This record gives sequence, structure tokens and C-alpha cells, in this order.
Amino acid sequence: MKTKLFLILIVVCSPIYSQQIDFNSPQNIKLFADFLFCDKDYLRAIEEYEKYLKVIDSDTVKFKIALSYSLMNDQYSAFQKFSSANNSSTFYEQSGIEILKSLYLLKEDSLFYLFSNDLINSKSQFSNNAQKLLNTSILMTEKKLPDENIFFKPFENEEKIILRKFYNQKLNRPYKSEFAAGIFSAIIPGAGKIYTSNYGDGITAFILSGLLTYLAYTNFEHNHPTRAWIFTALGTGFYAGNVYGSVASAQIFNAKVNFDFENGLKIFLEEKNYFTPTYDLCK
Amino acid sequence: MIVNKNILLAFFFSLSISANSQTDWVRWEKSDGSYQIKDNYLDREYDLSIESGSDIIVKPVINTYWFFISDVDGANCPFQPSCSSFLVQSIRETNPFQGIIMFFDRFTRDMNVFGRLENYPIYGKNHFYDPISLYTLDENKIKIIPASTFINE
Repeated sequence: MKTKLFLILIVVCSPIYSQQIDFNSPQNIKLFADFLFCDKDYLRAIEEYEKYLKVIDSDTVKFKIALSYSLMNDQYSAFQKFSSANNSSTFYEQSGIEILKSLYLLKEDSLFYLFSNDLINSKSQFSNNAQKLLNTSILMTEKKLPDENIFFKPFENEEKIILRKFYNQKLNRPYKSEFAAGIFSAIIPGAGKIYTSNYGDGITAFILSGLLTYLAYTNFEHNHPTRAWIFTALGTGFYAGNVYGSVASAQIFNAKVNFDFENGLKIFLEEKNYFTPTYDLCK
Repeated sequence: MIVNKNILLAFFFSLSISANSQTDWVRWEKSDGSYQIKDNYLDREYDLSIESGSDIIVKPVINTYWFFISDVDGANCPFQPSCSSFLVQSIRETNPFQGIIMFFDRFTRDMNVFGRLENYPIYGKNHFYDPISLYTLDENKIKIIPASTFINE
């Protein structure tokens, strides 16, 4: 009986004793954190890196924590972590441009302009990147655009081609006049909607108004006053709706122009990763 | 029998402790989805309370239309909110005069069967999203959602 019990205990205990690796050693914590970071599991990577930092101080790990926050789009935490990098840090200059990116995404305009000017004047290796982000950000604001030569100076040729489109659009937005749309529709039903590129609705408005006017007219002509007045009321409603709708359509068209412009610029900035450098931290 | 029953029981008990201690798998379990079709008429805001002068006429008409026609006929309006709800909401948002004109404009859009996918976001499974906020003539209320984008109910 004793022997059997002993045997069972050995069987149960053997998997416990077979694990003799110290998973909580700083090196192993860092290895695991690096694995999580490269696997884009940033939240857990941060947790492991924080554990590592309690034992060993490392600029790279601190930078990776800040970068993890940035990649998770927690820009406020990223800003705080990047800001804690001091002059002696290996990633001091990289932190600078990352702070600028965070400020831009946090929409902290005054701080963004202040910090971008500091970075541009600091002559760091990312001064040009800061100038690029600053110039692109001006396109998003109501500020007066600088002269073409000054605006495009920091950009490369490929970037210039894309940004020129936005620059010209900013100077001359293809807006449609709400007043003109209303007048067009008042003269010819649906014309205002066609003017705002809403062809289907324009043609429908024209047919509806035309048909109801015709029905009202013929019913009056053939002495059917009840029907005639019903069609008149409906025709008037559709006609008024068409004029109103054309004005609304012009407003929506203009809002879409703004949306497309801002969205296009946002996509461009995302593709360029807000002019931040690419890091080879997963080798 | 080589092994005693009690010992075998104790052995399985010790093994089961370690197995049951791992409860992390729960969150990876498959969830039971509901395949029940949602009844749109249950979302109706049946209400006859009088909050403004226009409610005296509009609310009885709309509630009667919903009860006797729309709920019986089914949700056939391609838009969200439906044309009748659009009328109620637009009057509530603006005034009776503007609300009725907005309704006529919406009805014109409803008649146009072409190019809906190119013009409207998709609401739920088979409705096009066309909110009141786009048509109140207040630029600040306009929020553009790209056409063909799926919006969850």
C-alpha cells in the first residue's frame, strides 16, 4: 500500500519538479515581453516590460513601452512616456518626433505648434520630419497656407505629388452654392440636385413635380376640382420639398468635400506614419 | 485489481484539481448567437401625448398609419428611419412647416431606386441610413458617413 501511494505521489509531483526554468528572471521576462511586443500584443508587453524595469533600467525598454501605447492609439499615455525620456537616452531624438505625433493626434494644437517649432530649431535628425508634419497639419486648419516653395520644401518628390493635390484643393475647394442650388430647383424642379451631382434624386423630383402639376392641370381643365386640389397640394409639397432638398443637397455636398479632403489627408498621414521613423525592434 | 479503488479516486481527484483550476478557457468558448429575426414594429414609439400644437394632428395620423397599415404590411421603407418616423422626428427637430417639407423631400428620395448603395450607408441588414440631422439645414449637425459603410443596429 505504502509503495503504491509513494508511486502515485511521484507521478503527481514529477510534472512540478520537471519545470526548473526560472520564468521570472529578468532575462526571461524581457524575452517574453519582446515576443509579445513583436506579436503586437502591446498591452501585455507593457505589463512585462514594467516588471523588467523594476529590476533593470533600460532606455530601449522604456521606449518600447511608450511605443506600445502609441501603437495602441493611447496617445495620452504615449505622450507621457515619451516625455519622460531624458537627454542621455539613446532614443531621445526618436521620442521627440513621437511626442509630436502624439500631440497631433491628441489635437493639442497650441502645444503641437510650440513643440514642432522647438524640434525644427533643435537641429535633430528628425527636424525635417517635424517640418513635414507641421506643414501637413496646416492643411487641416483654417490657417493661411504658406507659399508653395516654402510649403513643399521639406517633402520628397513622391510626397510632393500627393500633397500638391491637397494644397490646390485647400486653396480652391470645389464647393457648390446652396443659393444657386435652390434657385435652379425653383426654376426647373430637380435641377439643383443635378447641380450637386445628385442625378437620380434630381430626375425623380422633376418627374414627380411635373406629373403632379400635369394631373392638377388636367383635372382643373376637366372640372374635377376635388382631385385637382389634392394634386395641387401634393404637387406644391413636392415642389417645395425639391427646392428645400436642393439646398440641403448642396450643404451635404460641401460637407462631403470637406470630409473627403480630411479623410484623404488622414490616410496619407497614416501611410507615412505621421513622418515618424520606422524602428527595427523585432530582430 | 492492482491499484486500490480509494487510491485511484485520490489520484483522479488530484489530477482534476489542476484541470479545473484552469478556467481561462471560458472566454474562448463559443457563444450562442441568436438567430431570431427582430420585429421592427416593436421599436415603434406609439405615443399620443400632446407636447406641441402640431402633435394634435400629426401624432394621431402617424399612429393610425403605423397600427393599421405599416405594422400589418411590414417594414417596407428602404430607409432608416422610415419615412413616417422621419416625419415625426423632423417635426420634433424643427417645426411643422419645415418638417412636412423635409418629408416631401425624403419621399422624393424614397421614390428614386437608383444609386442608393453609392449614396447611403447601410443600416442593419437591408436599410439605408438617412438621418434627419443631414437635412435640417444646420451645417453643424451634418455628420458624413461614407456610402456603403455598414452601421450596426
